[in-house]
Amino acid sequence: MPLGLLIQLSWRNIWRHGRRNAILLSAIAVAVAGVVLLNTLLRGMQAEMQNTVIDSLNGHVKVLKPGYRADPGIQRGFEIAQGWDAALPAEAIAGWAARVRVPAVIMSERETRGIQLVGIDPAHEDISFLGRVSFTGEALSGPEDRRVIIGGELAEQLETAVGRRLVLVTQGADGRNREAGYRIAGIFEAEAGGLEKAFVFTGADTLQDMLDTLVVTEVSIRLADDVFETSIIDRLLGVFSGLDVLSWKELEPQAASMVAFADNAIFIYFLVIMGALVFGLVNTLVTAVMERVRELGMLRALGMRPRSVVAQVVMESSLIMFVGVAVGVVIAAGAFSLMADGIDLSAFNESLATFGMRPTFVPVLRVDDVILVVAMSLLLGIVASFYPARRAVQQKPLDALRR
Amino acid sequence: MTDMTERVVECRDVARTYAGDAVPVHALRGVDFELLSGEWVSLAGPSGSGKSTLLHLIGGLDQPNTGSVIVDGIEVTQLSEADLSDLRLRKIGFVFQAYNLIPVLSALENVEFIMQLQGVATTERRERALAALDSLGLAELAGRRPGEMSGGQQQRVAIARAIVTNPVLLLADEPSANLDTATTKELLDLLQTLNRERGVTILTATHDPMVMGYTTRQVHLRDGSVVASEGA
Repeated sequence: MPLGLLIQLSWRNIWRHGRRNAILLSAIAVAVAGVVLLNTLLRGMQAEMQNTVIDSLNGHVKVLKPGYRADPGIQRGFEIAQGWDAALPAEAIAGWAARVRVPAVIMSERETRGIQLVGIDPAHEDISFLGRVSFTGEALSGPEDRRVIIGGELAEQLETAVGRRLVLVTQGADGRNREAGYRIAGIFEAEAGGLEKAFVFTGADTLQDMLDTLVVTEVSIRLADDVFETSIIDRLLGVFSGLDVLSWKELEPQAASMVAFADNAIFIYFLVIMGALVFGLVNTLVTAVMERVRELGMLRALGMRPRSVVAQVVMESSLIMFVGVAVGVVIAAGAFSLMADGIDLSAFNESLATFGMRPTFVPVLRVDDVILVVAMSLLLGIVASFYPARRAVQQKPLDALRR
Repeated sequence: MTDMTERVVECRDVARTYAGDAVPVHALRGVDFELLSGEWVSLAGPSGSGKSTLLHLIGGLDQPNTGSVIVDGIEVTQLSEADLSDLRLRKIGFVFQAYNLIPVLSALENVEFIMQLQGVATTERRERALAALDSLGLAELAGRRPGEMSGGQQQRVAIARAIVTNPVLLLADEPSANLDTATTKELLDLLQTLNRERGVTILTATHDPMVMGYTTRQVHLRDGSVVASEGA
């Protein structure tokens, strides 16, 4: 049967029941728009979780001494050679930071807390959340800065302020306790509150002096794109022989599993929403076919082959599905443009912080997700329409004509 | 045009039994029937005599339980559903009691429809369809859909659709059933012209004496058997 005739018949048959098909088309459009928008939210959440993990001093990849994660301490430090990063392709690397990170106790005049004391070179910390925080007071000036910066929430707990002194106690390279007083240079405000309580930063050289060592405990690398992850890990394993080179997924497996879940959730939401819609589509098509049994029988009596009748019914549903999906994508694109700059969720800041999320939530529209939804919707529509189409040709033409 | 002595249809010992609610219904009981090229034969008889059943078997719309049905040299009983569709498409024109036009197509498109299925080129298809409609006095109605035409007009469009492909055989099942006397006469005059001037072989199932009066031969059926054959 010529495709032109197939399309002509199908298109006109759709308009025979304009209102019924308009309702069906609207349902498809709303469902598709819903799935696409839901995907943008999921992708946004996924990106947010990943960024938060990477920002939280992890980077995409981190180099650690074996055993450091189970028992962190300066004893599990390592030396890094000058110019070690020359072995990495510049286009793949957004930045890196070598740090000294040890568990410590911090004391003010009134309170004591357990924290992670981190020695940094501030010039390298644009790869972490420190590069984006706001300060009351000053940031650290360099690796030799002998002051500390602390988070706003920790400052509240310690009942201290900029310019005041704090005492830090930790274990040195020789296993003995080290204790030193530091003045507060600045208090930072991070978007995720948990970071403000967990970390205290000082200059890397200062901390090495205090611990009587020249080693670092971690090298954190931020990549220009996720796609470089595997190749960079391979190169780093060559550079840092005998050390662990871990991706952010290995460092934060719980967050990684939540990010991975978002990939599956897209399919789950799609199947639930579109699956429910398919029942409506099949029901409408069965009704349409049953109403036209005699007409379809007549077409076969005139010489139309059974497969052509099936093709006509499938074409009808495909046209409805195609238009519905197209309208749905347009609706989704329109709605997305309204929230592309971000959704303000500051009212739920505390809850979001639990999941390591920031109060402004930015949805992410991925073209491959839209293509996937469009392709799966059309495929689902075509597959679903085979049932009514099969019913259309189950009756012999003569039996159909007698109805 | 085919030779007048050529058999267009040949039925041998054809029987068709339907499963009834309580007992089987023997619609045809060992019927022998022939239709020669250029004939216009009416299958006549009361309701339930088997005339429509025989027409449907010849048209490949139904299959006999036993016997042989040959149309233009092809044994119909051996064909698959797809091959039967092809037989109907290439060799047989149908005129149904209820017109059975495609409601979403115009008169012209309805007439073009079978040629589209046959793969006839657009220009030729359009020319032949317009000529067919014109020959039946329907040129002005070419753009109308079936719902916008009277019963007689729809039946004439159905005839145009049936003859436009020059089928070997035109089958008409109770073609006058839904028409008034004047329209029936117009229709029969038209079929007569097609039969006499263009040599179209026609087989009609009818119990309308007016239709029988036009045909060259009448085959009477009763209780599924041929009881008489009158005419040339």
